Amino acid sequence: MRKFGKPLAMCAGLLALVAGPAQAQETIKLGISAPMSGAAAVWGLGMEWLAKEAAKQVNDAGGVKVGGKAYRFEVVAYDNKYNAAEGTKVAQTLLNRDDVKYVIGSIGTAPAMALQSLSERKGALMFTTAWGASMKGPKFPLTFTQINTPAEVIPPLYGYVKQEHPAIRTVVLLNPNDATGKETEVVSRKVWESLGVKVLSSDWYERGTTEFQPIAAKMVGLKPDAIDLGTAPPGDSGVVFKELKVLGWNGVKVVPAGTSAEAMIKVGGDSVEGVYMGLSADFDGPQATEVQRRMNKGLRAAVGEPINVIQIGGYDAVMALKAGMEAANSLDPKAIAAVLPKITFDISYGKSAFGAKDTYGSAQHLLVPVVVTQVRAGKLAEVRRLVPAELNQRVGGK
Amino acid sequence: MEIYVQLLVNSLQIGAVYVLFSLGLTLIFGVMRIVNFAHGEFFSLAALVIAVSLPWFVGFGAPLGLAFVVACVAALAVVLLLGKAMYEFGFRRFQRDMTGSFVLSIGLALLLQGVFIEVFTPASRRLPTLIEGNLHVLGAGITWQRLVLCAVAIVVAIGLYWTIASTRLGTALRAVAEDHEAAMLQGMPYRRIAMVGFLIGTLLAGAAGALLAPVTVVTPVIGSAYLIKGFIAVVVGGLGSIPGAIVGSLLIALIESVGGYYFDPSIATIAMFVIVMVVLLIRPTGIMGHA
Repeated sequence: MRKFGKPLAMCAGLLALVAGPAQAQETIKLGISAPMSGAAAVWGLGMEWLAKEAAKQVNDAGGVKVGGKAYRFEVVAYDNKYNAAEGTKVAQTLLNRDDVKYVIGSIGTAPAMALQSLSERKGALMFTTAWGASMKGPKFPLTFTQINTPAEVIPPLYGYVKQEHPAIRTVVLLNPNDATGKETEVVSRKVWESLGVKVLSSDWYERGTTEFQPIAAKMVGLKPDAIDLGTAPPGDSGVVFKELKVLGWNGVKVVPAGTSAEAMIKVGGDSVEGVYMGLSADFDGPQATEVQRRMNKGLRAAVGEPINVIQIGGYDAVMALKAGMEAANSLDPKAIAAVLPKITFDISYGKSAFGAKDTYGSAQHLLVPVVVTQVRAGKLAEVRRLVPAELNQRVGGK
Repeated sequence: MEIYVQLLVNSLQIGAVYVLFSLGLTLIFGVMRIVNFAHGEFFSLAALVIAVSLPWFVGFGAPLGLAFVVACVAALAVVLLLGKAMYEFGFRRFQRDMTGSFVLSIGLALLLQGVFIEVFTPASRRLPTLIEGNLHVLGAGITWQRLVLCAVAIVVAIGLYWTIASTRLGTALRAVAEDHEAAMLQGMPYRRIAMVGFLIGTLLAGAAGALLAPVTVVTPVIGSAYLIKGFIAVVVGGLGSIPGAIVGSLLIALIESVGGYYFDPSIATIAMFVIVMVVLLIRPTGIMGHA
């Protein structure tokens, strides 16, 4: 055995030399706070998968290059159960225990707000696909939002619905009883009324509700022309539409924050036919990019559901962060936050940028198209796409 | 008129599941003097096993109805095994110990939820409709599937009531619930009766989960929502009282249905907690409970 000792030691030394640079590459932890259980679980699971795919893509391409060094991304995700209490726990875990400086995904306005209150104080950069608009603006210099929220989605969605169904005179609103629902309801009510549609009632339900017959009976009893389920997740929307069908109601159905037609159809069956949605997009369709089609295929295999606009934020945030770090040539979250509004970068939608300063007072909102979709013959159909004029201007499009 | 009938139908269809769930909870309390906060996990497990195994059986060419029956049997068997394990390794040692059993059952609930999320994934699952069509009575609508669920729940509740009231096992369960020391002095095997009571309670929660699985969205945490409602029902009805559990469940369902209609679901939930407080202030043993 002793005669092999020297050659073995030499081999080990050689291996250490070869492997040295790879091992020396430092790892940057990226955090996610998203629902991984309950009705919205598929959002968090999808976001985690997509963020990990993006991190792998970056790592395989040599990592993030800052100050002459290459860094690897590693994604850690925790379940915020879509509520503020769990969101607070996740915020503590990510920012205090794991010492994460970059949160590349947060879902749910209430848990994301809980996270934001700590991330801004601790100087951590935060990306979010939370639907609430109150998280945006210059008050939160380290927060970057990635999905179109009520201000961008609701006016064109309702406008299209009213144009297609001019006979609509009355609507009933139903939203989850949390920050996401509360913020949306205000905008929904205002836009419906501006279109000459009377809001007959506006109700709330707790997330986790399993029996929707009472509220369905109430909504049907008011005999509305349209029912708007606001920010109800796909599973809840499917159950509500099913109960409405049992009671014989078949008016115009709208879900502004409707993200997944497939999940809704799986639950609601043919009762969801005709539903209009504002946050759903066909990532297999002709308008999808090659990256989105590839990710869509991968996510279907991994989670059993297609991508939606909330989940894709996980991929896009990793790409935006990489671009921001390299442009700032710094790992300091504040330096990255300062440079992000000024650059353009490649995300799953193609070239994009942060903007919307005129609307929110700071250029921290990702410029992505507003896509109006409808369930037609049991499938998702894109009926209108609006690309922000600012995006065209920034990336040199039409 | 139509709306009152609809509210009544809604109350009955919601209440049917609450009755099964709370009967198990109250039976376990009656026999063992423990509140099992992990009771919802039996409900979740049955629903999850059916959600996973039914498509599997259908894939083997079994007709949907038969596949559901086989999946139900499998689910109840799995739930029974879990109940037996929880009794043997946990609750047996904490009988008539409210504090110990409280800590144990909360811990078990958290542990099992974590295990279910790992094993079954957190994704929501939906079963295919077993019985198509709706029934309209006096202007009120209900799906045939829900109607069958209610019928089965009523049959199970009557069966349990009959067992408690008219069989040797029922007499033993009542005797143990009334005064376990006196029952033991009469030669009754308390530990065995307690175990049987616990397993019957477990099966009732499993049956509720199995019946609800085809009409709802199944998730690994679905039992938690029913645990809260079931607990409210037994507190209002009277902990340990079988008729109290039935009355409490129907009352809670009525509040949920009527409150949800005239106000909104959130107000209805608040109203349930207000009712609990009022009952506890006026009659701490519950509507039909004994001191």
